[in-house]
Amino acid sequence: MTRKKVKLAFIANDSARKATFKKRKKGLMKKVSELSTLCGIDACAIIYSPYESQPEVWPNTAGAQRVLTQFKRMPEMEQSKKMVNQEGFIRQRIAKAAEQLKKQCKDNREKEMTEVMYQCLTGRGLQNLAMADLHDLGWLVDQNLKEIHKRIDSLKKSASSQVVAPGGSSKSATSEMARNGGGQGPGAGQQEQKPVVDLGADAMQSRPQWFTDWVNNPNENMGFGGDDQMMLPFGDGHGAMWSSAFFP
Amino acid sequence: MAKKPSMKPSMGRQKIKIAKIEIKNHLQVTFSKRRTGLFKKASELCTLCGVEIAIVVYSPAGKVFSFGHPNVDSITDQFLSRSPPPNSTMRHLIEAHRNASVRDLNSQLTQLLNQLETEKKRGETLDHKRQLVRQRKFWWEKPIDELGLNELEQLRDSMEELKKNATDQANKLLVEGTINPSLFFIANDVIGMVDSVETKPYQINIGSSTNPDHVHNFGYGHGCF
Repeated sequence: MTRKKVKLAFIANDSARKATFKKRKKGLMKKVSELSTLCGIDACAIIYSPYESQPEVWPNTAGAQRVLTQFKRMPEMEQSKKMVNQEGFIRQRIAKAAEQLKKQCKDNREKEMTEVMYQCLTGRGLQNLAMADLHDLGWLVDQNLKEIHKRIDSLKKSASSQVVAPGGSSKSATSEMARNGGGQGPGAGQQEQKPVVDLGADAMQSRPQWFTDWVNNPNENMGFGGDDQMMLPFGDGHGAMWSSAFFP
Repeated sequence: MAKKPSMKPSMGRQKIKIAKIEIKNHLQVTFSKRRTGLFKKASELCTLCGVEIAIVVYSPAGKVFSFGHPNVDSITDQFLSRSPPPNSTMRHLIEAHRNASVRDLNSQLTQLLNQLETEKKRGETLDHKRQLVRQRKFWWEKPIDELGLNELEQLRDSMEELKKNATDQANKLLVEGTINPSLFFIANDVIGMVDSVETKPYQINIGSSTNPDHVHNFGYGHGCF
C-alpha cells in the first residue's frame, strides 16, 4: 500500500514505471478474478505492454478467446452500448466528481449559514453580510420555519386529542419528561393518555422548580431564571439589542 | 481489505470471502461497484504506464460492459487474430492526438478531485465547530424535535423577526446599490454591477464557495442551495 498519492500522469522514470506496471497489473488481474468469482460472471482482460512480447491475459488465452468470440457474436449495438474508452471513461469520472463537488459546496454553505443564523439570533448584526449571504440566510430561515410550523401543528393536534391531565398534557411536556426522566418508564407518556405523574415520583421531584412550574403552567412565558447560560433569542431581555441595531 | 470497527451506520470496510455472493441484491450492488473500480484501475494503469488494455465483463443480468484503451475493438481484434496491427504514421498521429486529450482530461479530473477533497475537509471542520458550539447548550440550537411547544413558538417568532430583518437589510442594500453602484456587489460576483473591484466595504468572506454556479434572484423563491 502506498503512502504517497500518485499523480495521474505518465510516469517518466523508466524503472519506476516498470515497477508500477508490474504491481498494478498484478492487482488488476486479481480484481478481475474477484469480480468474476463474487458475482459469478464471465470476464476477460488483455494487457499489451512494451515489457512483454505476448499480452498478459486473464483468465488464460483459451478462456479469453471464449469470452471474446461470444462478445463479438452479439449485435453491434449491444456491444457498444456499454463500451467505453479512456476519454469516455474519464469524462464520466469528471461528471461524477463535479456533481459530488457541487453537493459538497452546497452542504458546506448550508453549514456556514446555519452558524450565521444562530449568531444572528443572538444579536449579531446583519450589516456586514453581502447580498448573497442575506439571500441564503433568508432561505435557510424559511426552511427552519417550515419545520417549526409543522412541528407546532403536530404538537397542537396531539395535544387537542389528548385528555387534559394534571400538570400539562401537551405531548411536548410528556415527551420532554420522558427524556429528562432518564427513560424511567417504557416511554409511558408518549402515546397514551396518562398523566405526567405516572413516570415516577422521582422524576418529578428531581426536576428543578422552574421546570415543574413550566409543566404546570404551559402557557406561562419562560424566563429560565435558574440558569445563567440560558438566553432567549430576541426574547424579553434582548429586544433592546435588536432595536438599537436597526431602529436608531 | 482491512477490518475496521464499525461505529457508523454503514458497515464500512469488511473482509469478505471470495466466493459467489448469496444474496442477489448484494451481488448486483457488488458488481456495479467493483466493475467501476476495475475500470478505474485499468484507466489509471493506461495513464501511468502507457499500456494498452481491454476488459470485457458480463453483468449478472447478461449485459456486457467493456473498457479499452485505445479502444476495445482494436485490442480484441489484435488478440483474436493473433497478428499485430499495421504500424503506420497515421496511427501514431491519431494516438498522439488521443493521448494529448486524455492528458487534458486527466488533469481536469485531478483538479476536480483536489477541490472535492478541500471541500470535504472544510465540511469536517464546520462539523467539528458545530460540535464544540453545541456544548454551550443554547436551547434553540437543539434539533427541532427536542423542543417543547412553548420553545417552538418562541423560536418561530425569533426566526420570523430575523427573516424580516434580513429582507429589510437586503432591500436596503439594493437601494444603496442603485444610488451608488460601486457599493453594491455580490459575494460571488455573478450579477456584476461593480465598477471597481477594489472597493469592498461590506463584505465578509463567509461565502467563499468555489461553486461558479451561484445565481442570485431578488426574491426568496429558492435559495442558492
